[in-house]
Amino acid sequence: IPESGHKYYLQFSTEDYRTGEDAGNCLATVLYPKKKSPPVVSIKCSHTKDQKEIQEEDNRLYQRFRHQSKPITGNNIPDSHGNIEPALEPVWALAVAGSSSIMWEKSTETLGYFLAQVKSVRQWVREDDFTEFDFTVLLHEIPTQEIISCHMRLKWLPGQPLRVKHFCAAESRGADEGSGAEPGSAAGPSAENGANF
Amino acid sequence: MRLPVLLAALVAVATCTETFVGHQVLRVVPQSDEELQKVQELQDLEHLQLDFWLAPRGLGLPIDIRVPFPSLQAVKAHLEAAGVSYSIMIEDVQALLDEEQTEMLRSSRQLPLDTNTFNYEAYHTIDEIYNFMDMLVAENPNLVSKLEIGRSTENRPLYVLKFSTGGTNRPAVWIDTGIHSREWVTQASGVWFAKKIVQDHANNEGVASILETMDIFLEIITNPDGFAFTQTKNRLWRKTRSKHSGSICVGVDPNRNWDAGFGEAGASGNPCTETYHGPYPNSEPEVKSIVDFVKSHGNIKAFISIHSYSQLLLYPYGYTDTPVPDQQELDEVSAKAVAALSSLHGTKYKYGSIITTIYRASGGTIDWTYNQGIKYSFTFELRDTGRFGFLLPAKQIVPTAQETWLALKVIMEHARDNL
Repeated sequence: IPESGHKYYLQFSTEDYRTGEDAGNCLATVLYPKKKSPPVVSIKCSHTKDQKEIQEEDNRLYQRFRHQSKPITGNNIPDSHGNIEPALEPVWALAVAGSSSIMWEKSTETLGYFLAQVKSVRQWVREDDFTEFDFTVLLHEIPTQEIISCHMRLKWLPGQPLRVKHFCAAESRGADEGSGAEPGSAAGPSAENGANF
Repeated sequence: MRLPVLLAALVAVATCTETFVGHQVLRVVPQSDEELQKVQELQDLEHLQLDFWLAPRGLGLPIDIRVPFPSLQAVKAHLEAAGVSYSIMIEDVQALLDEEQTEMLRSSRQLPLDTNTFNYEAYHTIDEIYNFMDMLVAENPNLVSKLEIGRSTENRPLYVLKFSTGGTNRPAVWIDTGIHSREWVTQASGVWFAKKIVQDHANNEGVASILETMDIFLEIITNPDGFAFTQTKNRLWRKTRSKHSGSICVGVDPNRNWDAGFGEAGASGNPCTETYHGPYPNSEPEVKSIVDFVKSHGNIKAFISIHSYSQLLLYPYGYTDTPVPDQQELDEVSAKAVAALSSLHGTKYKYGSIITTIYRASGGTIDWTYNQGIKYSFTFELRDTGRFGFLLPAKQIVPTAQETWLALKVIMEHARDNL
């Protein structure tokens, strides 16, 4: 749109992350303004899954998290061979959901993300009703192909949106552990500041 | 020490009838004649059923005794009462045997006896894949040979399998997998392809007809240094492992290092990034060796470079939005190949030129091969579309390889029919 920016019209279907079942269709418009600022989005989706069923599943999961005999921890989910321990699948799902909020904030008209791996997760026991998790997640950035490491803290109470705080390493690693003294690349401005590694 | 030999013997026994649960192996080092005698007394007590692994020999020399569980208390009491000190060498013999058995089973899995017992449904190490190649050649010496086309930065061999039924310098198909080391489903699929070619030939079906007039070259581990690194240090390593002067960062993107639009938009000049194109074209031995091979062969008709993930079939160009002269034909072949792929498990693929389908990328493999005159230059991006990404579960290896093979056959047959 001349003088204004680029407007995208999207029609897409969604599916349940675990089962692959159809979960509804969406229609959206996304306007990227000429000046670099977050896009303007309008979206409308149909739901095929029963909201009550979703609530019940959420509550079951929530109870499981609350009644752990010891806090959940995990590493490398999935592992190198793509395996996810069945007991850790819900935690992985939580990471997927939480990471999407990171991706939402970081992505631009020309930069997108996938969740490559959950490097580590640790559950924090809370006095109040929330369940809380600390994650280190690795995001695969397109088209740069970089792997971005992000620290994510996630709080969840069924019936409420996930609360996510995150901090991503400013510069991805091209070198091995420990190096990274090279001055930054020509990549766009990074919102987070922090150590290079 | 006799330990391993004895354990092996015990395993043999253990797998038959006896169990050694709770048995311990005690060591006594007699310091005096009295102590020596006390232990020798034990030898005479047959009901204890003691098994001397190291018999008494003299002062200062160790005596090792396997003591069955029911006799433990008696033996220890006997030694302690006499003031003979002992140490427990093995706390539970059965536990050790179980561990050993697991280890032995594991090692027998690591070195399968032939390509029929090889596990295609698992990811393998470099050595396992090299071993597979050698077995395949040994089993099919009239069809398969192994060529070394060069060495990697860390001096690993760059092996290419040649499948040929004869002739001299026949028109050929080239397939490479694993150029980006973290894309594990590709090397795994390459292994499956190799076996499939041999099977088709033996059963006179599938690619057997292609092999009548063409050769197939398959490089399974195109980036062995990177592959080794993904197994030991960083599962998500993509590039080579070269160090070029002026930077502490390691590695060049082997799919930006080719001489086609080298260094232009679509690659990075920063050595610390994943799409670093390198100091100059073909700086990477992994790339140069293929360039040299292709040029000296001179008769390659189809070139297919395999990546993951995204589920795409791509043809040139990536470095420019000028369409290739053969755009229409390549597009038609792609449509057919993708349809064949989907027919097996319903996997959805998109297709098109690199620049219109994914993004601008310069210095890429198939842009160079196309410009060399190899019309049928394609790149695959295999499963999946991001749920597991590079960490594709091993159980998807075979379905992925099977469906991809159908698409590869379409391309190979088209090349053969349009020589």
